[in-house]
Amino acid sequence: MAEPHTPTRELERQLQLLGEKFAERLAQELPELASKAQLLQAGDHQAQLQQLRSLRDQLHKLAGAAGTFGFASIGQRAHELEQQAMHWLESLRLQDQGLQEFIQQVQQFAAQGVQSEPAPNSRARPQATPKAETDVHCIYILEDETSIGESMRLTLGNFGYHAEHFSRIADLDAALQRRLPDALIIDVNLGDSEQTGLAYAAALQQRLEQPLPLLVITTEDDFATHLEAVRVGAMGYFTKPVDIPQLENRLERCFAQQQGEPYRVLIVDDDHHLASRYSLILRGANMLVEVLESPAGIFEAMSRFNPEVVLLDVNMPDCTGPELAQIIRFNDDWLRVPIIYLSAETDITRQMDALIKAGDDFVSKPIADNALVTTVFSRAQRARLLSIALSRDSLTGLLKHADIKEQVGIELERAQRSGKPASVAMLDIDLFKQVNDSYGHVAGDNVIRALANLLRQRLRRVDSLGRYGGEEFLVVLPDCPAAQARRILDEIRQRFAELHFIAGGSEFSVTLSAGIASTEQGAHDAGELLERADRALYGAKHGGRNQVGQS
Amino acid sequence: MPELSRILHVEDDPSIQAVAKVALEAVGGFRVLSCSCGQDALDQVQGFAPDFILLDVMMPGMDGPQTLAKIAQLVDIGQIPVVFMTAKVQPAEIEHYRGLGARDVIIKPFDPMQLAAQVRQIWNRVHG
Repeated sequence: MAEPHTPTRELERQLQLLGEKFAERLAQELPELASKAQLLQAGDHQAQLQQLRSLRDQLHKLAGAAGTFGFASIGQRAHELEQQAMHWLESLRLQDQGLQEFIQQVQQFAAQGVQSEPAPNSRARPQATPKAETDVHCIYILEDETSIGESMRLTLGNFGYHAEHFSRIADLDAALQRRLPDALIIDVNLGDSEQTGLAYAAALQQRLEQPLPLLVITTEDDFATHLEAVRVGAMGYFTKPVDIPQLENRLERCFAQQQGEPYRVLIVDDDHHLASRYSLILRGANMLVEVLESPAGIFEAMSRFNPEVVLLDVNMPDCTGPELAQIIRFNDDWLRVPIIYLSAETDITRQMDALIKAGDDFVSKPIADNALVTTVFSRAQRARLLSIALSRDSLTGLLKHADIKEQVGIELERAQRSGKPASVAMLDIDLFKQVNDSYGHVAGDNVIRALANLLRQRLRRVDSLGRYGGEEFLVVLPDCPAAQARRILDEIRQRFAELHFIAGGSEFSVTLSAGIASTEQGAHDAGELLERADRALYGAKHGGRNQVGQS
Repeated sequence: MPELSRILHVEDDPSIQAVAKVALEAVGGFRVLSCSCGQDALDQVQGFAPDFILLDVMMPGMDGPQTLAKIAQLVDIGQIPVVFMTAKVQPAEIEHYRGLGARDVIIKPFDPMQLAAQVRQIWNRVHG
């Protein structure tokens, strides 16, 4: 999806360069860490301590720096190892057993290297066509029926994931040792295994520091299995035969949730001391926090910082929390922002009074750190999902007609300024009416969603994507000549044709046609470019469908 | 409110030094002087006359708190807020830093796009 065209592009470019430099530094520093860890085994006690201090300092630097450049999980892991190093230093006893383990952990961390980093919300990340290797999500599939597992692997591969299929628990275990995937798909009913897939998943999740996103597939559709799946932390439940595009859609949602920007939280509290404490707790949970001590600054803070959650102190001298909440609610733009009161108020009637006036929730002081984080997190998460749902096409999550059309204009202007050609592609699903008529609208919706996901996976971040009409999509590709656009779209066309959909027990596949127009032939305005793409699409349809035409 | 324009950033990690400079200059429009160690900061602080000082906690040689103590002898840290930048800390630690005279703590890792806003916010609180 294209970033809005703002003066910060130069900044983004600089940050990207710094990010690349940092990645180089990581590649150098990680092996150093490993050899430092190795040296811990040698030398006398004093030498060991000195080595350990130097290791701790280096881990500390990494813990602070990596996340800034988008390498969040490397930063997190470095932080954990730093804590362990500190623990060893404090105990001042370097017992062999535990120390060996620590050394191994540092070496494993170093060996993971820079590639394994998903770098989820990094701005400082190189963009490439097609997606860079580090961008690809890795999925492990445990499925004892080889044909099902393989077809899943191939289909997810078409969507741009790196999928690996394992028929036996032992094989999966071995792969997990080598590399942790970004998500797991597990069949509940494993033919000749002693364990069910769920029992295995439960044990595995416990073993991991952070549970993996998990989807289960099963032949059972009963309540007990559903419940068991929820209890092992499954984020999706699919009965066989599995509709893979639907499963892919769920995966996509899991990742979207993980990769979000930090939540923005505004705290309004006249007690400076408390406010900075809350702020610290929430910032520790990776949220962006601003504190406002005087309620009068609310308009400025709301419009500049655009918070996703507002925390309000109930008792402030000039203006009470409920009054301020009502002021916020006067403005329709801020209706979707949840308001949570912070108060020492334990009188339930007065709490209810406050809630009736405005506001969504109440937390009583003193509040435990965890409770505060959880309350704010869950509200923020829901608010963000709702807000995305409102501004995007509800079926596909892509831009709506008007927004994508606007994007064509923006990219056309940019192309004229920069002299770099942009292309526009219009896509249409072939004989879509027949899909709806033969398999029903649910199946039709599924096809549309699958194409949306496929496009999202295969295109670059700078490309814009919109649902133009019912089964029609529009793609805007900046800095991309027609010939390149044609190659990209043709690859998407082939992969789409390879998808298998399931409806009412029968399987079917669908094709698409596309038309491309580029600024290389000159274009006065967005309308002209769109019209040419439309004509090229018409040509592709007339040429027999399942092809990409060019104006 | 006095104007915030000059920031002294003391940080021994060159990657962080570079990204903070870019972020503060490009997003915040501030002028930034980066120092790579406490001594360097002490040598430059009076000449540069910063409005605001960002100080890494863990540095080789003179660490952040030691640097703060010496800076406080050279300039008025009541007017020039000193803020520590450090990886995840416990609430007790922030109290400790405050006791040393720091106005706040900015947690690492930080979001480069938000750093200027965080600094501005602390500034507004101190001088607002």
